[in-house]
Amino acid sequence: MSEGPIVSGHDPRFERTLYAHVGKPGSHTLDYYLSHGGYEAAKKALTQMTPDEVIEEVKRSGLRGRGGAGFPTGLKWSFMPKDDGQQHYIIMNADESEPGSFKDRYILEDDPHQAIEGMIIAGYAIRATKGYIYIRGEYRRAYDRLIAAIEEAYARGYLGKNLFGSGFDFDLYVHRGAGAYICGEETALMNSLEGLRANPRLKPPFPAQKGLFGKPTTINNVETIASVVHIVARGAEWFASMGYDKSKGMKLYQVSGPAVRPGVYELPMGTTFRELIYDWAGGVKEPIKALIPGGSSTPLLPFNDDTLDTPMDYEHLQQKGTMLGTGGVILIPESACIVDVMWNLVRFYGHESCGKCTPCREGVAGWMTKLLGQIETGRGKPGDVELLEDLMDNIEGKSFCPLADAAVWPVKGALRHFRDEFIHHLEHKTCRVEKKGRWR
Amino acid sequence: MGFFDDKQDWLEIVFKNYPPENRRAAVMPLLRKVQQEEGHVAPERIAEIAEIVGTTPTEVRGVMSFYSYYQAVPTGKYHIQVCATLSCALAGAEELWDTLRAELGIGPGEVTPDGLFSIQKVECLGSCHTAPVIQINDEPYVECVTRARLSALLEGLKAGKPLEEIELPGDCGHHVREEEA
Repeated sequence: MSEGPIVSGHDPRFERTLYAHVGKPGSHTLDYYLSHGGYEAAKKALTQMTPDEVIEEVKRSGLRGRGGAGFPTGLKWSFMPKDDGQQHYIIMNADESEPGSFKDRYILEDDPHQAIEGMIIAGYAIRATKGYIYIRGEYRRAYDRLIAAIEEAYARGYLGKNLFGSGFDFDLYVHRGAGAYICGEETALMNSLEGLRANPRLKPPFPAQKGLFGKPTTINNVETIASVVHIVARGAEWFASMGYDKSKGMKLYQVSGPAVRPGVYELPMGTTFRELIYDWAGGVKEPIKALIPGGSSTPLLPFNDDTLDTPMDYEHLQQKGTMLGTGGVILIPESACIVDVMWNLVRFYGHESCGKCTPCREGVAGWMTKLLGQIETGRGKPGDVELLEDLMDNIEGKSFCPLADAAVWPVKGALRHFRDEFIHHLEHKTCRVEKKGRWR
Repeated sequence: MGFFDDKQDWLEIVFKNYPPENRRAAVMPLLRKVQQEEGHVAPERIAEIAEIVGTTPTEVRGVMSFYSYYQAVPTGKYHIQVCATLSCALAGAEELWDTLRAELGIGPGEVTPDGLFSIQKVECLGSCHTAPVIQINDEPYVECVTRARLSALLEGLKAGKPLEEIELPGDCGHHVREEEA
């Protein structure tokens, strides 16, 4: 276990960092944070490193965006202009809304200073003296804790002017969402923050050129920003000692559905589904037929040994025709109908479509939702599955933003592995599985 | 009298969050404030917000209609939002919703005659491990909502107890905060 990369939570070299303090009494307070090495990383970055050195360290660590897309963080930061004399902004995307994802919430609730410290470091690296945390409106406790933490940080000089005597000023603001999934898309988020309808913007210009309020802007997920704190504190090599190939570091994996202990588990990248589900989440409560690997937009996989032994990282999941996404695993029980599950998800995406572009508005919110509903409720006709596939080919890659793709991918995955359930619906006008009450 | 007339200090704090030339950015916090205090956002409030941030009522209405939190029609004292997305659906959210409708005798957009309750189906609240989940007003979530928990919750609210004082039976059984497990 002590040779090679760390790819298991059982490896004695592995140590929790992002969630090290989640659940500890008082962990959301500044005093607790300072007594556990808090703000040392920010101090180190601001007083011992140049902004470019911070970016270089993050690049060397191999950190990739944890919000779902997996874009290399250091590279994203390097797109920001230098010495252009404009106001720059750093935004933390805390609009956690992808079904199956609930990891960022507990960082904000139980360790808000970790998020603030990460924002200071990220702001310094990209030369942004102002930062926004865009938090989904429903996360009330997280919002309260965050506001209290920011007030504490200002009062004790961890936010504001001349941090750590470095001459770097940093102001941090919080903007609350109000219930719209599309705000997780970075340009939609910026529109929302500007008080506009949250339609995505045309790219280019990219946020690094013309972002929030028309100024150069970088947006990163909560987990991404929090990871930076530990990369600066412990070094890029430490981070890169976890995981395979181009999937490095620790990851907050989530389990929901009929697991014995659903929840959030911090594990090294490359941990297998088997370890996550059986060793950490306590196993399953009923027979499972499929799992969604990384939030609702990632194509599902059949629940078998091959899937269970797959390392949960960018490359291995791509090889399986799916994605790591947010690392939010949803278990689908045998007793659930796959068509019903897909109808639920497509209704979600249909509801959350902003209505701006035709493939998404008409294709996802209209046709896909209707077709799946028709098949599920026994009104399907021969050829409906082929119609659905043809429709999806005309949606995928043709919409203004990735929301429509996110609705197509899970259905394509379901048809790849569970086509027989769709056909059964068409032939027998009913589900193959008997619907049973699920509410306890 | 306008809603914000006696809230000038509050407004000043809100506007400090945005560049002075981007007053419009404050439209969401202003909408939220009205929603929180009045249970919905009436047309005259929309006009007032538009004037304060320097835009038109139509623009404000456009923003308002984009989000699930702001309500155009009055809601009950307790506005119950039921998450209906996958993990909650797998834990029986649909049955929970039907029970709630039957129990309260109302549908979406309606308020119980005593003015206490209104209901709304919402999309993923981001608490999939504690499914099924509901949210009342702008309060922290009510998690692992079993039949027994829902009954206790409604009983407590009807008896006039504050949400945080209502004891919910049973264990949630999820696992996030390692040390609590």
